[in-house]
Amino acid sequence: MRYILQKLGFYAVALWAALTLNFFIPRLMPGNPVDIMVSKLATKGPVTADTRAAIAAMLGTDTQAPLWQQYVDYLHALVSGDLGTSVAYFPASVNEIIGQTLPWTIGLIGISTVISFLVGVGLGTFAGWKRGSWVDNLIPFTTMLQSVPYFWLALLLLFFFGSVWPVFPLNGGYDVYTFAGPELSWGFISSVLYHGALPALTIVISSIGGWMLGMRNMMVSTLSEDYILTAEAKGLRPGRVRAAYASRNAVLPSIAGFAISLGFVVAGSIVTEAVFSYPGIGSALLMAVNSNDYSLMQGIFLVITLAVLGANLLVDLLYGVIDPRTRARS
Amino acid sequence: MFLRTRPGRYRTGGALVAGIVTSTLLLAGCTGGSSKDTSTSDASGATITVFNGSTGTITENFNPFSTTALQPTLGVIFEPLYWYNLASDADPTPLLATGYEWNADGTQLTIHTREGVTWSDGEPFSAADVAFTFNLVADTPALNTTGLAATAEATDASTVVLTFAEPSFMQEPNVLGNRAIVPEHIWKDVADPVTEINSEPVGTGAFSVESFSSQSYMLQANPGYWGGEPAVKHVRYVALDSADAASAALVAGDVDWMSAFLPGLDDIISTNPDLGYVNTPALTASIFTCSDAAAGCAGPQTDPAVRQAIYYALNRDQLNKLAGGGFAGTASPTLLLPERDADWIADPDDVEAPASADTEKAADLLDAAGWVEGSDGIRTKDGERLSMTIQTVTGWSDFISLNDAMTQQLAEVGIELKPSQVSWNEWNDAQLSGKFQLSLDSIGLGASSNPFFTYDKWYNSANTVPVGENAIAGNASRFSDPAVDAALAVARSTDDEAVQAEQYAIIQDVITEQLPYIPIYVNSMLTEFNNSRATGWPTDEDKYAMPASWKAWDNGIVLKTIKPTN
Repeated sequence: MRYILQKLGFYAVALWAALTLNFFIPRLMPGNPVDIMVSKLATKGPVTADTRAAIAAMLGTDTQAPLWQQYVDYLHALVSGDLGTSVAYFPASVNEIIGQTLPWTIGLIGISTVISFLVGVGLGTFAGWKRGSWVDNLIPFTTMLQSVPYFWLALLLLFFFGSVWPVFPLNGGYDVYTFAGPELSWGFISSVLYHGALPALTIVISSIGGWMLGMRNMMVSTLSEDYILTAEAKGLRPGRVRAAYASRNAVLPSIAGFAISLGFVVAGSIVTEAVFSYPGIGSALLMAVNSNDYSLMQGIFLVITLAVLGANLLVDLLYGVIDPRTRARS
Repeated sequence: MFLRTRPGRYRTGGALVAGIVTSTLLLAGCTGGSSKDTSTSDASGATITVFNGSTGTITENFNPFSTTALQPTLGVIFEPLYWYNLASDADPTPLLATGYEWNADGTQLTIHTREGVTWSDGEPFSAADVAFTFNLVADTPALNTTGLAATAEATDASTVVLTFAEPSFMQEPNVLGNRAIVPEHIWKDVADPVTEINSEPVGTGAFSVESFSSQSYMLQANPGYWGGEPAVKHVRYVALDSADAASAALVAGDVDWMSAFLPGLDDIISTNPDLGYVNTPALTASIFTCSDAAAGCAGPQTDPAVRQAIYYALNRDQLNKLAGGGFAGTASPTLLLPERDADWIADPDDVEAPASADTEKAADLLDAAGWVEGSDGIRTKDGERLSMTIQTVTGWSDFISLNDAMTQQLAEVGIELKPSQVSWNEWNDAQLSGKFQLSLDSIGLGASSNPFFTYDKWYNSANTVPVGENAIAGNASRFSDPAVDAALAVARSTDDEAVQAEQYAIIQDVITEQLPYIPIYVNSMLTEFNNSRATGWPTDEDKYAMPASWKAWDNGIVLKTIKPTN
């Protein structure tokens, strides 16, 4: 119990620190949202000195207020669950934008990260268990794929499977030519799966190598431990030795890595979404940064922060279950 | 949205990506037979798909007063009184009005509204709606982006009188051509017109909203449209995230109308007989200089001789080939468009900027101003090297190429350019606050083709501020000249074009000498069409509207003009 409380206390402090950074970092960027909006309007048509006043009034942004007061307002709004109004997507609220985009990102990147982890760790276990098998020989190839820059790989796959052999669609989250909007039908769901297949494939291909290599090497070193020898000497079934003795110990570093990569699901989606025009949160973040949209940036960073902290907390607790040593020490 | 900051010009991330895109397009072009058929949802072929630059998620906003409204809100769903075609020098086209006249001192504008127009919900349109719209704007500071100070009154069912506090001839294009008219019977009950998203817009335009989702939305033809129901029945708007995605979608036949700079455009067109394009250069790419030392600008560019030398030392033909893809038009030192505005340019010598470099003249200018060649080939004066930083935005590949080419061209006359690439925000911030020496940017479109809007915005000393403050109104160069200010004041107070032209001649004399904005060329504005589902798009011969798919107001004209192919 004390272990859990300690952990929770630590995470509360980390959360506060992250929220404070989250407040200050966007404000260190050059420019402010009103000027940026005016400049963007100016490329489309005439603006006058009154435009600035009108936009400032419209956005209700009081960037002249002292920083500490903005900070207090920010914390207060966060506590009451109000993330504010987006400037880039005015007058939509930040909650609305995140609600619209986050499911796509979690759906695509979350699921492909989990698939990549499960398949990678599974294959890695096997490769470590039976060294020299065909799975083992797969590892150099997958690590090579991982070292290829992601956007390059994604563009190549899109080029071959989207343009040359149009097996997969070129862009979008679903077939906008058939469905007017999201609906609950088999046709729509299969369209979403079909559109998500290629982006998901690129993520799995480009990240599976790391999991495999890490897991395989941990398996190899675990297999040389004395307790494995003891287990084998006791005459346990090979399957039990592999699962309960070898891989349970070997998987620990991978789980820590998995927690971190889960946290970065939200942040790491920008390139995928740009290449495949996927309607997720990455493109909203890009848009927010380019418009100095503090509220939206803070909202998305908050989601990222919560995701990273939440995933870490979960893994910390999970670690206590898998590895009793971490509990005992506290 | 950063893609939208320079409308219609999409840039790929780097040479690597550009290479892939080109080859993608070429190969895709060769396998054109594999293009998938996307008109399955509508067998009649009367649906066309538009990409207007939206990226990522689309948020619903059909509020014509909002600066972030979805682009078809203006012109397609809601209409203004008149429509100004900035692609030609034609007179404005009457839409919801049929005539207007000013009183002698420019304080009263009488507008005659069109009869027989109905709103898309069936209610009749009248002058009262027009009066309501203008009063709403004047009474709500947050909506008043054009500084309109007028009270409107409907004197009868088809006449509105706008009364201004001061002579306001120059408000004319904004009042007539840049203000969507909304129905009084709906908007009088809107609680907050600033944050209203108007999800079921009732307008007078040729189309109304059929369905909306965060990834695409559909408009349908308005059967009761006063100009007759448009031939195209459905228009779909889609979001694509990058230039690569947009070009692939165009080649695959997924998009019928879009505006983007595509590498290897001629190859794409020649292998896809359904595709066509039109080029309407309109934005003058220029070197913005921080020109006024008195306002706090620092650097050699505050010397007019240096700016003139740069102007003459540029080889614009070469720049167009290297950076403009050969699509750019010729710029004018008067900052007007030579093709459209020739009548407004007083001195025939000022119509077009020189195409090739005149290094002798540039060198003479610098010699006369006391800049002498130093040991490293760069000129100096009183210990100051003739070296300037020029900023542009990371990823704007054509501007980056421009900087590189100009660096070489200017080195020949002893001027050193130091190109720097910064983020859009930083670039914009530096330009507004005057903390730059040279900056690459474009001169945008005015409210009408009257040069007043260009000259007032960029040269009026009332529109500038000292370095350190933000020159939001336009004059980023900090340029200030009493003769220009006086001429602008005269031009503002009259609607007699002959008088205005005389004043513009004065301004042109000053600015072609001072060159606070050094024109390079008029950047291409390429718009691509797919002719297999609709025809009648604007062409080089018939620019009946600005063809760019992101251009508000003009879109409504194009969409009601094109015809579906059978």
